[in-house]
Amino acid sequence: MENNDDTVNKNLVELSTFLVGDALCGMDILKIQEINKLIDMTTVPQAPSYVLGILNLRGQIITSIDLSKKLGLGETNLSHDPRNIIVNSKGEHIGLLVKKISDVVQANTDKFEPPPSNMGGIQGEFFTGVYKTEDKLIGILDVEKVLRLEERN
Amino acid sequence: MQIEDDEILQGFIEESLEHLADIENDLLAIEENGADIDEDLVNKVFRAAHSIKGGAGFMGLTVIQDLSHVMENVLGLIRSGKLVPTPEIINVLLQASDKLNTMIEDVNNSNEYDIEEHLVPLNAIYDGDLPQTSAPTATEKPEEAETAETAETAETVSMSTPEAIIAEEAVSAPDPDPTPEPEPEPEPGLVQSTEPVVHAPTPAAPAPKPAPTPKPSSPSAPKKSAAKVKVDTSIRVHVSLLDSLMTLAGELVLSRNQLLQTISSGDTINAESVGQRIDLITSELQEAIMLTRMQPIGNVFGKFPRVVRDLSSKLNKTIDLTIVGKDVELDKTIIESINDPLTHLVRNSVDHGIELPEERTKVGKSPKGLVILKAYHAAGQVVIEISDDGKGLDGEVLAEAAINKGLITPEQAQLMSEKEKVNLILLPGFSTAKEVTDVSGRGVGMDVVKTNLDQLGGQVDIISEVGQGTTISIKLPLTLAIIPCQIIMTGGERYAIPQVNLEELLRIPANQVKNRIERVGNAEVVRLRGNLLPLIRLADVLNIERTYYDLSDEEFKADRRERIADRRGKETPLDTREEKALQAEKDAIEAERKLDDRRHTASSALNIVVVSNGSMKYGLIVDKLQDSEEIVIKPLGKHLQGCKGYAGATIMGDGRIALILDVTNLAIMADLTSMDGSDRASEIALAAEELVKAQKDKQALLTFRSSEKEQFAVPLNQVERIEKIKRSDIEELGGKRVMQYRGGSLSLIAVDDVAMVQPIADTDDLLVIVFNIANQIVGLLAIGPIDAIEISVSVDDVTLKQPGIMGSTIIDGQTTMLIDIYEIVDVLFPEWFEDKEVFEVEDEGKVPTILIAEDSNFFRNQVKNYMTESGYDVIEGEDGAIAWELLQEHGDDITIVVTDIEMPNMDGFELTETIRKDSRFATIPIIALTTLAGEEDVAKGKAVGVDEYHIKLDKEKLMASVHHYVKQVH
Repeated sequence: MENNDDTVNKNLVELSTFLVGDALCGMDILKIQEINKLIDMTTVPQAPSYVLGILNLRGQIITSIDLSKKLGLGETNLSHDPRNIIVNSKGEHIGLLVKKISDVVQANTDKFEPPPSNMGGIQGEFFTGVYKTEDKLIGILDVEKVLRLEERN
Repeated sequence: MQIEDDEILQGFIEESLEHLADIENDLLAIEENGADIDEDLVNKVFRAAHSIKGGAGFMGLTVIQDLSHVMENVLGLIRSGKLVPTPEIINVLLQASDKLNTMIEDVNNSNEYDIEEHLVPLNAIYDGDLPQTSAPTATEKPEEAETAETAETAETVSMSTPEAIIAEEAVSAPDPDPTPEPEPEPEPGLVQSTEPVVHAPTPAAPAPKPAPTPKPSSPSAPKKSAAKVKVDTSIRVHVSLLDSLMTLAGELVLSRNQLLQTISSGDTINAESVGQRIDLITSELQEAIMLTRMQPIGNVFGKFPRVVRDLSSKLNKTIDLTIVGKDVELDKTIIESINDPLTHLVRNSVDHGIELPEERTKVGKSPKGLVILKAYHAAGQVVIEISDDGKGLDGEVLAEAAINKGLITPEQAQLMSEKEKVNLILLPGFSTAKEVTDVSGRGVGMDVVKTNLDQLGGQVDIISEVGQGTTISIKLPLTLAIIPCQIIMTGGERYAIPQVNLEELLRIPANQVKNRIERVGNAEVVRLRGNLLPLIRLADVLNIERTYYDLSDEEFKADRRERIADRRGKETPLDTREEKALQAEKDAIEAERKLDDRRHTASSALNIVVVSNGSMKYGLIVDKLQDSEEIVIKPLGKHLQGCKGYAGATIMGDGRIALILDVTNLAIMADLTSMDGSDRASEIALAAEELVKAQKDKQALLTFRSSEKEQFAVPLNQVERIEKIKRSDIEELGGKRVMQYRGGSLSLIAVDDVAMVQPIADTDDLLVIVFNIANQIVGLLAIGPIDAIEISVSVDDVTLKQPGIMGSTIIDGQTTMLIDIYEIVDVLFPEWFEDKEVFEVEDEGKVPTILIAEDSNFFRNQVKNYMTESGYDVIEGEDGAIAWELLQEHGDDITIVVTDIEMPNMDGFELTETIRKDSRFATIPIIALTTLAGEEDVAKGKAVGVDEYHIKLDKEKLMASVHHYVKQVH
């Protein structure tokens, strides 16, 4: 699953792209374990607001995070068949809820550009760069940063 | 370091640690035997040291090798009987094995360790015959010991200090030695023959040059690194267990094949049996796998003989340690984590619990103290008890200390029971030691123990009697992986509460909510058997919308109730959003129906889960109670670590997740901690006290019906239990009704057998209220609805009085007849009371006279009847003052005084006090009657001179005690 070392060598990655709110984002496809439909979730009272709840994925308990909310792009509408991207972060499986899954794009890491300066603020810090295809701009998501815990008081 | 093969090294480490664990206890046993050497035992230790040496040599661990080698030498002498194992020698050996242990745990750095301090004394012992070598060691050691002591103050007390003792006693050490003197030579030869390779350089070289300077730094430095080099742990499993696991796995595979087959062929009949098979195999597999994790608690207990020995000699105490239940098995993780708390507790017992020999002799105890470590199974849990026969804990002293430290307020202390006071020791920042010693009591003691055990799901309980000793019992779950839980629902989600925290489940019907739930400030409390229990709403603590189910019957029309029941049945598990919508709808309906009753407390029954975490007990209000289930705990992800209210999550049978509640943290979140001295806790406690007092003269009654229209009541304390039966369970034999009950026959009676009331209703579902009368059980047939209520009884004992009915009262607007169960039984089974007649007054002329003081006509008449039935004369007084006058008037005639507590003008306490003050009546027996025997009342009564307490209307006990006192007086 996480042998992303190989891909770095080739400078070529496959980006799985998806819509978070209206923004097209992408991440290395090898970081993704699987993509699910939204399944029955259990809400966790008192959890941080971006945590949608926990769900049972084949016997494993997975925290599901509303990526849109985490990125400050508003809440994902649960009635429009959103998807859960299951990623593995530091030995723990976490679900990232996105509005819609889009294409897989082959990209050359050399062509990644730094995030534009006007993409500052809360969203900016979660992106490592952008990738330009013929017709679209894909924001490359830094998953670890997204999942990093904020300091709690 | 030239260690290449990790696996071999790992094997060596495990094996050596096992050997060392044995060595310790064996050495202690050897010490105990003294000159009477058990050869097998010594051989065992010798072999252990030998194999460590061999392994270390192979691995290139020279320092370990050297140390084990000199140990082996000394052990060889003991084995051949040339050396008598004195405590001093054993001490040195024990320290050396400690060092070996440290080095093996930190194997990668082991070659950096300095073992000089062990080599020198060991070699000295080995060369015991030569006076010139033993002399220098004796002189060197004091300084060594000192430096070592200053360097390693905290953690290695046991290592450094006994050495000082040896140093002092080194003079005496040589005296057992003369025995080996004649033939020292053949011994090394013997050792050499077993291990020739490494022998030569070691014993000679280090012996003469003690190097005290590097010691302070070197032994402590690697010690710290030891922790982080903790290698992967492994566990030993018996092959037979592995085999059975293998078999089970095989069966599982077969069943899976069957299952796949049945599914593909659509064979539903077979599917069921395959399902059952898989169910069976799974549980067997689960059990077997759990077994692999189980380890005997002896692994932990094993080190305590040493701990106690070292400590007691350091403290100049003599202490015996008894260990019971070494074989009790616990999950590996638990075994590992109870080590520290147990060590602390044992140290505490030795240090603070057991007194010095002189003190013990002074108070008449044997100078030798006793510490008992005991493990046993109880109710699906493992209980570990650490008891000592020392000075015990003084609750008053503890309370005072807690007040001085500002941990609790004096008011709170007043309200605490003795047990609660003793448990104050578990408060954070509490240390009772008069002076802080390095053995235990650094002011962080017991609360850390408690926190550790809390994490394990364990509970600590302290029982202590001043002067007699202390017993600390720890209840631990067998395993942490699977725990039984009570499932509850709130806000449409399910939650699990671990059974260990569960005390009881309480349901308060809607019509009693008003009476039983009190508000103190903003806190809600419920009265539970005379005590007030603080309540927390789960929804409030979790900050979710309050929801509730209206299952209550009385206030709503049948159609509505059914609708709600239907809806719930169909739609669980509900999605939260639907639930909210439903709730809104429900609210709307309710608002429409009963505007003024929208307050939840008035409109619905309350489900309360009474939970405790050992030191505190509270009620958790939930929406709905479900089943109890065995669940598997799964940890929550890192994003949810901040949610303190949960101990984890679990997956339910339907695949959804339920959160496991952490009872302790919930209480903290709700700002409800009985131990932390929060204002709210004391506020509730004080209010509780007052409320209980106000409730004093109330009577708890069980109401039921016999026919549909007539309501009856009996005092609740007379009822043993209530059973639901079917009419077909009743058998009529020999003109009597009986039913089978707990392997015997239970006589059944009905109210209409004796009293002129309507016959028992003709329904299939009946209730049997079981009473125990004259040591016989009897069942009273009844029908519902039954209810337990607590009211101030004002009984009309005229209007409806008849045989079997003592009177009537109004309960909830309905006239209710009070049953006199004794009378009914007496009429139906007069023979039951024949034995009792023996009690009766065997009067030769003079009939004993009893003075009854009671303000309620009803109770007074009842008690009077009991007395006159038994043939006593009775004088009645309506209150304490009148009774006192009567007593003065009749003086000598009166044999016993029976008094109520709550009376106008002069209450029972005052009356007793007045009577006792008068020398004429100093010895007259006084029996107090009460409806609610609160502990503090009993104590107060005893203080003023009440001989005995009885619950009103408990005829048998009252009469037994009256008879008893009459006999005594005569």
